[in-house]
Amino acid sequence: MRAVHAELSKLFSLPGIWLAFLIGVLGPAAFAALDCIAQKEDILAGITTRLPEVGFLGLGFGVQGVILLGVLAVSSEYATESSETGHGQQIITSLTAVSSRLQVLLAKAAAVSLITLLLCIMAIAAIVPVTRLILGEFAPAMEWTRLAGAMGYWMFTALIAFSFTVLTKNGMIPLTVLMINSSLVSFSVLLAKVTKLAYYLPDRAGIDMFMSMSDAYHTPLAGGLVMLAWAAVLFAIAAIVFHRRDARA
Amino acid sequence: MNIPAGRKFTRILGAEWGKLVTLPAVWLILAGTFVAQCVVTAAYTSVALQEGPGMYTILNAGLASMKYLQAGFMMLGITATASEYTGGQIRTTLTTLPWRGLQLSVKHLALAMIAVPAAFLMAGSGVLYSLTMLRDTSADIEPTLMAASLAGATGYLTLTALLGAAAGAILRRTAPALVILLGYYFIVSPLAGAVLPDYLPDAAGYYMYAPPSPDPHNTLTRMQGTGISILWTMLFITAAVVLHRKRDA
Repeated sequence: MRAVHAELSKLFSLPGIWLAFLIGVLGPAAFAALDCIAQKEDILAGITTRLPEVGFLGLGFGVQGVILLGVLAVSSEYATESSETGHGQQIITSLTAVSSRLQVLLAKAAAVSLITLLLCIMAIAAIVPVTRLILGEFAPAMEWTRLAGAMGYWMFTALIAFSFTVLTKNGMIPLTVLMINSSLVSFSVLLAKVTKLAYYLPDRAGIDMFMSMSDAYHTPLAGGLVMLAWAAVLFAIAAIVFHRRDARA
Repeated sequence: MNIPAGRKFTRILGAEWGKLVTLPAVWLILAGTFVAQCVVTAAYTSVALQEGPGMYTILNAGLASMKYLQAGFMMLGITATASEYTGGQIRTTLTTLPWRGLQLSVKHLALAMIAVPAAFLMAGSGVLYSLTMLRDTSADIEPTLMAASLAGATGYLTLTALLGAAAGAILRRTAPALVILLGYYFIVSPLAGAVLPDYLPDAAGYYMYAPPSPDPHNTLTRMQGTGISILWTMLFITAAVVLHRKRDA
């Protein structure tokens, strides 16, 4: 518990976390608002097929915030401080204070999950009034099963970003790959046109948990299980590597 | 120190070049971008083959990977400038090269010396691959159009790298610079593209390499696109140089 508390306080004191909050909370509301405005005429005319998606679209892109959170949680530990302070790395201090490496990793993952949950709830709380305000009585109903799916998507994405960064120790590659993959020009969507196997990539499967896209492949539950499997396997690999590797370098 | 201006310039260029080519991240990013480029071009070409003759021209398939490639070049640019701020290297740099404006400008020049051949190689390999794969199904293209598109693609990627470097120098941290640039290029711009004007960096840059469109409305010519992209990059570099001269390192 004390380790989780320590990890939480480390995370909340990172400057980058405010960018993550900004993207994770205001981003979804902004995208939902843009989408509502763009779709409003079609919705009023009753010809849109995307009505239930307008709010969830924001949640699909707001996940960028928790990608940043998951990456920063790890990469900040490996950032080298200046030569004046002896080229220190925070990870050495962290591992001295809590000597069980698995405990450090679990505490950090727990802290990331907690903040992700908080961000997702705040994002949902921001989206609902925005869609109500713009669309009035046509605002999509927010079913709790789909909201739970979106929360799962955020949580697993954050954990995948987290485990991926444990492996690379540097935030650049996980950030780039994951951010592009949750955008409109996702690698997975492109690969899905070439091979059906790409539907089992984590982001492509995870999106089926809460968005009913035209090319949906999995049921929400199956998509969630596929993504859970990815997150679990990646976390296990990250834990083994983190346990065996020299902390520095 | 009294050094003739010309020798000062070559020495600074040598120093900045030396720093860039000995940075392992630079070569990792270039290699990773090249691998991603091969995968993406192969995927697009295979989609083009599935869709049958006439759907895709060779240039469309070969340069379809540009929107992914630009991420690699952004990373390259950001690394080039933001890496100075990890571990306090910037203080060593400014002790030996106390001419701040000149130092940062020459750093951009050294970066361009790496970015131009890399960009040409990557854009060229994509076009070459789709040329060999789609030779039988697509109509022939004129060599002048191909040369112009390749030159435009090389120029666009180089300008993107320089813009990334300027953003990295302004923000002085890798992760926020990367998140902001990727967020704009991959999330905001594709989603709000219809609302945003044509002369923003990515939209204008698109016309540098895009094959001429049959729709003459709302498009820029290749030269207009190039000019606007250069202006954006110069604007960012100028802002970076001014801030670099004013701020405490």
